Amino acid sequence: MFGQGLLKGLEITWGRMLGKKQTVKYPFEKIEMFPRFHGRFQLDVDKCIACGLCANACPNKVIQMEKQKVDNKQYLTKYVMRIEYCLFCGLCVESCNKDALKFSSVIDMNQYRREWVRLTLVDRPAPESKKTPEEAPAETAKEQAAAGKAAPGKEG
Amino acid sequence: MVENIFVSIAAWLRGLLGGLGVPDLWNDVILMVVKLLAILVFILVNALWLVYMERKVAGYIQSRLGPIHVGPKGLLQTAADIGKLLGKEIILPKNIDLVVFLLMPVLIFVPPLVIFAVIPFGKDMVAVDMNIGVFYLIAVASLSTIIFWAAGWSSNNKYSLVGGMRSVAQMVSYELPLVLALLGVIMITGTLNMNEIVNAQKNVWFIFTQPIAFLVYFIAGVSETNRTPFDLVEGESEIIAGPYTEYAGMGFAMFFLAEYANVMIVSAMCTIMFLGGWLAPFGLDFVPSWLWFFLKMYLMIFIFMWIRWTYPRIRVDQLMAFGWKVLVPLSLANIFVTGAGMYIFRAIGW
Amino acid sequence: MKTQTYYLNLGPQHPSTHGVFRIILELDGETVVKATPVPGYLHRGIEKLAEARTYTQVIPYTDRMDYLAAMLMNWGYVKAVEDLMGVEVPERAEYIRVIVGELSRIASHMIATGAYGADIGALTAFTYTFRDREYVLDLLEMVSGSRMTFSYFRVGGVAEDLPEEFYPAVKKFLAELPGMCDEYDGLITGNEIFQARTKHVGIIPPEVGINYSLSGPTLRGSGVNYDLRKVRPYSVYDRFDFDVPLGKNGDCFDRFRIRIEEMRQSGRIIQQALEQMPDGPIQAKVPKVIKPPVGDAYAEIESSKGVYGCYVVSDGSPKPYRVHFRRPSFINLGYLGKLCEGWKIADVVAILGSIDIVLGEVDC
Repeated sequence: MFGQGLLKGLEITWGRMLGKKQTVKYPFEKIEMFPRFHGRFQLDVDKCIACGLCANACPNKVIQMEKQKVDNKQYLTKYVMRIEYCLFCGLCVESCNKDALKFSSVIDMNQYRREWVRLTLVDRPAPESKKTPEEAPAETAKEQAAAGKAAPGKEG
Repeated sequence: MVENIFVSIAAWLRGLLGGLGVPDLWNDVILMVVKLLAILVFILVNALWLVYMERKVAGYIQSRLGPIHVGPKGLLQTAADIGKLLGKEIILPKNIDLVVFLLMPVLIFVPPLVIFAVIPFGKDMVAVDMNIGVFYLIAVASLSTIIFWAAGWSSNNKYSLVGGMRSVAQMVSYELPLVLALLGVIMITGTLNMNEIVNAQKNVWFIFTQPIAFLVYFIAGVSETNRTPFDLVEGESEIIAGPYTEYAGMGFAMFFLAEYANVMIVSAMCTIMFLGGWLAPFGLDFVPSWLWFFLKMYLMIFIFMWIRWTYPRIRVDQLMAFGWKVLVPLSLANIFVTGAGMYIFRAIGW
Repeated sequence: MKTQTYYLNLGPQHPSTHGVFRIILELDGETVVKATPVPGYLHRGIEKLAEARTYTQVIPYTDRMDYLAAMLMNWGYVKAVEDLMGVEVPERAEYIRVIVGELSRIASHMIATGAYGADIGALTAFTYTFRDREYVLDLLEMVSGSRMTFSYFRVGGVAEDLPEEFYPAVKKFLAELPGMCDEYDGLITGNEIFQARTKHVGIIPPEVGINYSLSGPTLRGSGVNYDLRKVRPYSVYDRFDFDVPLGKNGDCFDRFRIRIEEMRQSGRIIQQALEQMPDGPIQAKVPKVIKPPVGDAYAEIESSKGVYGCYVVSDGSPKPYRVHFRRPSFINLGYLGKLCEGWKIADVVAILGSIDIVLGEVDC
């Protein structure tokens, strides 16, 4: 009969009006991300051997890194991700052999200016050569590494 | 006490002015201005509230929450929106008809305002008790079409033009069944005065004696207010926003609020003609008559909203076909049946 | 009376062209005399970009074509490279591909359904389908980490195995899927106004559909039984029992209705795939640097919009010499101009919506 579909539609919307709401009041309540979520990048500087595989894997050349040779070992001095070009495809994370580069579940990376989006994961001077048997320079390097991790670029 | 609160205020004001030695003529004029101002405030406050209500109803139907952040429960959302729109630049496109373009958002509020003057909100609560109230209402209500059309024409935009043309075509074909549907009620009551029509429903509301007229009036009323499924004038998935396409800021907001004023008129009319106006059902007299009027009116408005957020939009040629081939014959048949019924009842002396 | 036609520029910025698509309409009143589609406003040159990337690095770019069914876009490209290299994909990987691919198809069809409702004017349908699509996106996010551009497929398999929490979640979703489809049917398909708007509108005769090389629901709406998953089964599709819904009249209503039916069938396929899924590796033995032998390969899959093909030419270097995508949305648009003639403005929107285009795919 004509009109049945019309009434059925009204019935559905009426049921939905009284039913449960789906809204999540975002800034006040947040949904937890799944473990594999592609959020902000994390770099464990202690594990990183500055091999550059991630930079090569990136389709958009997002990762810019600088390294220095200290005592026959590559030392990472700068690791900048131009997040504004990032596709969040995860190829860099997948390419990392040492499990140093990872995704975190941080989602709020938005900034007011395009330049601020850039993510500086490591920015530190290279330690002095360890040819002398003192441990002190290595200690400072570690401290600086921790500082670099704590404050990745402009805080978002 | 509560029942007569507005009437008492008017009487008190009249007495006050009389006591101050104001001549009777001036007394009437002042009182009329106060009444019209009250109606204007009523329309604007209601329109603001209806925008909020629409968004809430839409949100709940779509399993969302609607506005919640501005003010308690989001109540100030519309006020905030209006404030934002007031601060916006009035954009004037090239080659528009400037006078008409700027005049139309102002004029759009005139028909609702003058219509509300004759609507009885409660017992003895009518600004102008006119003998030809229904006739006047129908005549003035169709004026807003000219405003839509002029707005569409002056915008120098093809989308606006199509929307304006649609609004004229829609009005011409839906005003007819609307009037014919009301005719059934008028035949029974034999009067065009709204108060008398309401009083004639003391025993039984006309929705029960004139169900077809009610249905036709309701459908034509949805069409008159340009709401889904008959919102071809705006038709935002086809012609962007119809006549309002080029309007920015407060100009747009005026059209937007006027739409809700029109919804109120159609619902109020529906209440008066078919739902017993301010009469209390089941003898529930302790609730003031004007409150009954609002309850019924808001029930109708809610149904309008419910339908809007459920149905898709009809196409323009189907709209015409539906109006001329279904609604007009239906309302004519209703008149015929009503007339025959009245004759039979009179013949058997009931 | 002398009348004159006028031109109406529908788009590129228009609420219902599904993105930045433009149609120049020559109108007589509200009736379309001539319609000229103008695509190209979202052209990013993905095919050219691919020439400067390694084979693996192209995968994230394929996501950006049909971003509503990105898994399927990955699949077609990856399959072409695998054909070129002669890689045998492990069975478990194939099953995972089928599951995520069908989930992606459901997500895409949900948008098609809801957006079509919004095109016709029923805005509530739009929010309902988007609400339900969130469940699908949650599932795919569990698997791949992203909600729209997954980049989950790899040459020779998939990036990661399905996580443990995926299985109960997908079972819950499959149990709810028929109810969701019923809701869309009740709210949109069964609505008389909707039927009046879409039935016998924009009819594509079957032979015209074949001649214009249309595919997917657009072709099947005309009653042509052509679904690659059935007629030329790839992956493991020959092991599943499912129906191909067909239309009768080839009008907008049939094209719309088929998508809801396909969602139900996709649910059946996922159910069977979950039951049959074997254990095993998820990646074939593929060298780290992919260097296919000199030659070319063309692979086709049934994407949510139609037959999605990918043509890859290799010159033996780690980067493809040429990549070409056969995008179903673009080819389905071929008949749009003729299809719109004689209908009203509102019908143009209805017809365009029923073809279900994604501008990322049309303009590539």
